[in-house]
Amino acid sequence: MGWYHLSLLSLVITACIFQQFTPSFQSLCDAGILLVPLVFLCAAVTVGAGPMLLLAFTAGFLWDAQHVITPLPPELAGNPEVYDDPGGDVKFGYSIMLYALMGFFMQGLQPLFREGKWHISALLAGIAIFLYLSAEYLCVTFVRGDLIISRTLFLKISFTALLTMLLCPLVFWILYRLAALFHHTISYEGLASERNAAD
Amino acid sequence: MKPINFIALVLFICGVTWVLTLSERSVRRIQQAYYATMAPFLKGGSSIETRARNFLEEIEHSKDLENQLRAIEEEYIKLRSIEGRLRVLETENAELRRALEFKEKSRLNVIAARVIKRQPATWWETAIIDKGQSDSIGAGVPIIAPGGLAGKVDIASEDTCSMILLTDERCQVSVQVAGTPEVGILHGTRGRYGEEPRLILRHLSREAAILPGMKVITTGKGGLFPSNLLIGTVKEYTPGPVEGVALVQPSVNFDELGVVFIIAQKNEPEG
Repeated sequence: MGWYHLSLLSLVITACIFQQFTPSFQSLCDAGILLVPLVFLCAAVTVGAGPMLLLAFTAGFLWDAQHVITPLPPELAGNPEVYDDPGGDVKFGYSIMLYALMGFFMQGLQPLFREGKWHISALLAGIAIFLYLSAEYLCVTFVRGDLIISRTLFLKISFTALLTMLLCPLVFWILYRLAALFHHTISYEGLASERNAAD
Repeated sequence: MKPINFIALVLFICGVTWVLTLSERSVRRIQQAYYATMAPFLKGGSSIETRARNFLEEIEHSKDLENQLRAIEEEYIKLRSIEGRLRVLETENAELRRALEFKEKSRLNVIAARVIKRQPATWWETAIIDKGQSDSIGAGVPIIAPGGLAGKVDIASEDTCSMILLTDERCQVSVQVAGTPEVGILHGTRGRYGEEPRLILRHLSREAAILPGMKVITTGKGGLFPSNLLIGTVKEYTPGPVEGVALVQPSVNFDELGVVFIIAQKNEPEG
């Protein structure tokens, strides 16, 4: 665990703070910019599996702390004869697993990223955001029941993925700067050793 | 798999298991701590946002004046500028008067709060308000706005509260269709994005005499919300084989939720 990894943790926490101020665009079906998943996905491709899991844990934990609606204690939940549905929601911590899955998904194309083809990773981040949101919606649907799929839902997810993806170059630029600052080499060890062996 | 990665995976699984098995009380404490940490940023950000909005409004206003520059004299423009600013103040004044009047008219003991962040989540209809436990506000307390019921407090931290809006599926209210014996449970809808919010009223009689335009009010049953708070008006009623379902248009304008009123504390603050 190096300074670069610690800086990534700080970056995720900073993204969490900035996430509070990101707007949602009503004209684009309430789509928004998801900074925390974006920073995580971009960072995931620059590190190994171990640090990626740590980042997934941190990002998912913070994400759920903000979003998950925990049922009120029984004494505040109202008369159960009137409110028979306790009003629970997805379990706190589910995002950690989704983040880890998306992290592994991003790492699938890590060799290309480490060869300098960051734009492919940027595109993949957009796809990962789309998948993440779809999975999140399915999780919510699974818990609450009634599968409701509408055109606006699809547009909301698509626009959110697209808007978020547009910020990828900025996040990658920050990551490259951090890597340079903390002398972290973003290169593919496997390819490097193979080349060395060939030489 | 490298040994280090295997160890990381094992630790990760242990961490996830720990988080997933946290009790609801512990989760609420974590969320309270999270909101308490975020509160200074939210409050600071909200004031910056307000200033920026005022600045942009001024710019917009200046642009209007620039267009008029071609036709009228400089002095007149200055007067127009002053007039424009007065208009902004007048609007703000009228809004505050309305809010004050609403507060005075309300039979309930309420605390005014400002919405500092609206809808920070993807699938959850929530907002953050600038009052918290320091104002004796706890979880589950109803929140009203000019127009009627707006939601309830979810997590209360020291200086801020997270509120679940009436438009969220998880905010359930026992309501009655005014002028009829029909009572049911009302909640928000899922899958409507970028559209006017609608609420779903369930558990109505199969063939109830409900017509569009009828008012929907709280019953006060269940101990969560006071009675006779306006919720909205019926837009559509669909009789079903087991129960009738009505679509309700909320009376509160959730797009312009600026000032809300928290109904005075009935529950002890958490933690």
